[in-house]
Amino acid sequence: MTAPGCDRIALADLTDYAAGDLSGAEAAAIEEHLFSCADCAGRAAELDALVRAIPPAVRSADVGGFVTDDVLNQLARDGVHVRTFVLSPGAVVPCAVWDDDELMALRLRANFGGASEVTMSQRVAGKEVVRSTGQVTANSGEVIYTVPAAWVRELPVVNVEVLLSTREEGEERTLGSYTLVHGGALQR
Amino acid sequence: MPDTHATIEAVSDEALARRIASGPAGSTDVEESELYRRFAPRVRFYGRRHLRSEAGADDLAQEVLLLTIERLRAGEVQKLEQIGSFILGTSRMMCHSERQLARRREALVARFVDTSVEIAPPSLSALDSPRVAACLRGLAERERLVLLLTYYAEREAPRIAEDLNLSPGAVRVIRHRAIARLRDCVMGGRS
Repeated sequence: MTAPGCDRIALADLTDYAAGDLSGAEAAAIEEHLFSCADCAGRAAELDALVRAIPPAVRSADVGGFVTDDVLNQLARDGVHVRTFVLSPGAVVPCAVWDDDELMALRLRANFGGASEVTMSQRVAGKEVVRSTGQVTANSGEVIYTVPAAWVRELPVVNVEVLLSTREEGEERTLGSYTLVHGGALQR
Repeated sequence: MPDTHATIEAVSDEALARRIASGPAGSTDVEESELYRRFAPRVRFYGRRHLRSEAGADDLAQEVLLLTIERLRAGEVQKLEQIGSFILGTSRMMCHSERQLARRREALVARFVDTSVEIAPPSLSALDSPRVAACLRGLAERERLVLLLTYYAEREAPRIAEDLNLSPGAVRVIRHRAIARLRDCVMGGRS
């Protein structure tokens, strides 16, 4: 057993270990230490608990934000009801959430050029309610933004204006604007 | 009357193993439970890394500790001062023979300790989805996405890097920062 207060293994190393991103030799060295050190093992168990809490939180459809198809596919495999809207620049699309929808996914298409980051702004009745900057997925021609359906149900019948932009050489460039004509919450 | 729980927690790993090895059958339930409490989380952490399955990791933790207790009782663990190494070696061996797990389970569970004891660390035992979801929402978009891709979609750094036009090293740095922030938020109750 090592001395109390041992911090030989940093949280970053444990994180890489848990993610499977260490070489065999690096992973083996961490394992040897964890099985002989109660302090480091305790921190590993804390990290393990934290990591294990992520999937249920995501499945609860209460997180939202930018995602990729890998995340959406996993949500589908987990049985989460996702209502998807595919929007090209200038689109005006009727939109509603049904009572069994859990998550709304907006596939916002645009010509991203060389942009690596985009900012999405949502305005409801002229007021900005969401502003978020995310990463552009390589070669996809779209970004995917998710919103918990529970939040959408709270909206009245209203138009939601979505603006996608990027910054180039200090200037903001609009990539696309989209309009969701929100018809309220529907029941089957 | 002595506080058995407090006392047993102060016992070294080696002494714990020695008590189980030398005690008559049925007289070391407290020591066996303590050994399980100490090492099952480590085996599970190991198992999640190597088996990529939560259920598989849970099974591995149960099987490894039950087998360890069996070997201790049978006097088959030679170096009791290295009980941690023995448990790690057993974990590695059983990971490679996963198919043996199911066959041994029924026989061993009937014979030894109750392995359903709570093994989550006390500081994080109260994690709930709304709290974790709120903390995930509080992260920067890129940090949250890297965590979701790593721990929900189970993608490794090179694949995430390719999808997000980042280097694998950058993905790891983002993940380190994101985990630290998520942990601080969950532990501190801030979102």
